[in-house]
Amino acid sequence: MSENAGSRNPLQLRDQPETCRTADAEERSAWQRVIGRFADNCRARSLFVLHYCTGCGAIELPPTITSRFDMERVGVSPMVTPRQADILLITGYVALKTLKRVILSYEQMQAPKYVIGFGSCTINGGMYWNSYATIKQLDQYIPTDLFIAGCMPRPEAVQEVFLELMRMIDAGKANAWRDYYRNYDHYLANQQALFGPQWHTPTDIVAEAKHYGLMGPGTTGPHTRLLDQHAEWALDRIPEDYPERGENERSER
Amino acid sequence: MSLLDILFLGALAVALAMALLGGTRPAGVIATLSYAALLAVLALMEPLLAQSNAAIASSVKFQIIGEEIGWSMNGLGWFFALITVAAALFASWFSSGQWGAVQYDMRRQHVLLAVNVFAMLVLLSSQDLLGLFIGWELVSWASFAMMTQRGGAAARAAYRYILYALAGAMAVLAAIVIIRAHAASFNFADARMAVAALPSATKWTVVALLTAGFGVKMGLLPFHLWQAPAYSETPGASSAFLNAISARMGLYALIVTLLQVIGTDVLTNLSVQFIWLDARDIIMWLAAVTMVVATFIALMQTDARLLLTWHGIGQGGYMLLGVLIASPLGTAGGLMHVMNYGIYQAALILSVASVMHRTGTSDLDRLGGLITRMPLSYVTMLMGIIGLAGLPPMNGFVSKWMIYKSLLEGREPLLLALAFVTTLGTILSVYKLIHNIFLGQLRQEHWEIREAPLSMTVPMLLLGAICFVTGAMPGLTLQLVDRAQAAIGVPLLAHHLGGVTLATGSLNMLWVVGTMLAMMGMGAVIFYLLGGRHRAVHQYDNYAGGHFLSADLRYHFSHEFYPGLARVIGPWYRGWIVRAEASLIRLSDIIGHAWRGSFDAGITPLYVMAALVAGLLWVRSAGGLP
Repeated sequence: MSENAGSRNPLQLRDQPETCRTADAEERSAWQRVIGRFADNCRARSLFVLHYCTGCGAIELPPTITSRFDMERVGVSPMVTPRQADILLITGYVALKTLKRVILSYEQMQAPKYVIGFGSCTINGGMYWNSYATIKQLDQYIPTDLFIAGCMPRPEAVQEVFLELMRMIDAGKANAWRDYYRNYDHYLANQQALFGPQWHTPTDIVAEAKHYGLMGPGTTGPHTRLLDQHAEWALDRIPEDYPERGENERSER
Repeated sequence: MSLLDILFLGALAVALAMALLGGTRPAGVIATLSYAALLAVLALMEPLLAQSNAAIASSVKFQIIGEEIGWSMNGLGWFFALITVAAALFASWFSSGQWGAVQYDMRRQHVLLAVNVFAMLVLLSSQDLLGLFIGWELVSWASFAMMTQRGGAAARAAYRYILYALAGAMAVLAAIVIIRAHAASFNFADARMAVAALPSATKWTVVALLTAGFGVKMGLLPFHLWQAPAYSETPGASSAFLNAISARMGLYALIVTLLQVIGTDVLTNLSVQFIWLDARDIIMWLAAVTMVVATFIALMQTDARLLLTWHGIGQGGYMLLGVLIASPLGTAGGLMHVMNYGIYQAALILSVASVMHRTGTSDLDRLGGLITRMPLSYVTMLMGIIGLAGLPPMNGFVSKWMIYKSLLEGREPLLLALAFVTTLGTILSVYKLIHNIFLGQLRQEHWEIREAPLSMTVPMLLLGAICFVTGAMPGLTLQLVDRAQAAIGVPLLAHHLGGVTLATGSLNMLWVVGTMLAMMGMGAVIFYLLGGRHRAVHQYDNYAGGHFLSADLRYHFSHEFYPGLARVIGPWYRGWIVRAEASLIRLSDIIGHAWRGSFDAGITPLYVMAALVAGLLWVRSAGGLP
């Protein structure tokens, strides 16, 4: 079943300050709080889910979405692209290869964004607990708002977790995504521990953290410095001594 | 010395100047300025053509079989001449800078452009059937020379064109001989009276010969095969000129012969038994089928230039359709479409030419993502395709709207449906054009591409701007159309700056464009002022099912762009008409062999005798013998 942020994750290993999970009251003026409250209220009523169907849990989603349980009546509907999606739903075990794709898809989503880990596999590895090829705890690599325990959870449980997420968004408590920006170095360290020091995605999380005003002491660190080697894209550079084109017109003949 | 003489001499002087100076660096500028001067002469002619039957005569004349043949330009010719000279101006402007400098032989291109302009001016000033024929031949050979200059595929296509054009010219000559035999004069007015008195079989012959002969130039079905390869292989600036106006000479000749010499009343009286169609309906259906077939062939092209030139053939169908409706609205729409089409097609071809100049290819499978490197060319193409697809706020919308409306009012719902189907094909194919060139993934070999130089982008953007301005204020174009309409003898269409006011539904583009801009402005306010926060991402920061994208991975799907549609139209696209042409050639081969074989077999006297008997019977039936 679902777990909300208050009685949070019993499996939480990291020492995490609670302020990361709530909106920072000092930063917001009263007017912004009103706007933010209104925006949260609206946001909770229109959620698009990117289903990252990695394992068997995907089979529970059709009844959840379609007429039997019909999540669309509360404003939750599927979306095919990450940039337009609000929720990343990981339905099952995450192999190492899959994790790279999951991280890429997560980073391509636009904030605010929420992650739901579906089934035991995302919590403790589930029946793959001793596999060499799967990760055991999803929230070591991307910040997770909610988990659904069970192998596998029934659609009622999925429904419950969506409703819980809506309540959290409405209350301004679904802020796990801020944690990714504030403690990016921590997440990147775990990712690099798996994929090696060459690991990188085309997205620039540090720049996004600046963009959202979420730079924290844990945003940059020894691990983000390793990204600098990939920072400059050859594509964006045009050499100064660029030769004029047009010779092809002549050479065509 | 009249203004028309000055115009002729001016065009000849440009050709001469280009023959002498064409190879030098300022040649393009000189040519551009000269065409601007010719435009000024045309502008001076405008007030003289204000009355309906006014024409400006040239002092060049000659005598033949007791008749005086001369040239004079009326409003219709003036309207086409305006487009011709303007197209030449933009073409030479485009080639005045870097584009011209890298051409293999720019001097020849300049000379041929000027010669084409001169030939077209001669055709557009014809005042009798013989003058029309002389001008027609001049234009045929001039455009043949222009198409064939590059050699290779263009020359082969141009050769096919000249075969068609010569056959067409013979058909035209035959029609002129028939009319002359009855009218005893080449004059249009005499010809009109004579044609009206002809027996209906002869009328049919004349109509068929003229439509086929001039239809060749327009690419009217089934004579459409030559045009796209020939025009598309011609170098950029010349191609823009050919596309913009050259094929419209066929339309001009058809207007002159079908509407002025024969007349719509004669055409509508020529009915076919049992199928409720008359001669005008048949030509209109031919135009409509040309429109549909050419547009859907364009849809399947994988080369940007071929795609556009096939559209040129299809758009010609719209113009003929509008003109043949012969209502004030339809004629105005058809003639206006000539000008509008010339503007946006020139912009589109020049945009493709600048892409070719930078990338060396116009293959739609080998481009993509150029919007970040060539934004001005992109803007030009965007404006052009909106015009070509006939969507507001560009000028193509207005003329197409008028043609649709006239088809509706002329009680031609089936033709209207075909026009809509064509527009659908146009929209699909222009999306393919801009998507495959400018949107999507930038290929690695194009990372260092830069925007075309100003000498190329300025004329392009100017054409795009004209496209928009004449779309928002169609009254500007309709004013020019008035001159042409008066010359044909169709009642003028009442119009104002924003469009037309009709009892059955009006069009005011000022309101349409104003509303569009206001809505876009509101959208811009919402997105940029209220939202404001946006961030550009790298092209490989793109979603492909979680896949990591890189330069060696193609995610820009440009090949086989409309597979579903291709399955539907594939069977007839695969070239029944090409096969028909080939089998016609084979048939003529077989007949030729059989004919030679029978000569060899020694039965020549039989044929001679048969020909003699047939000839005697013909003379007898014509009343020559007692």
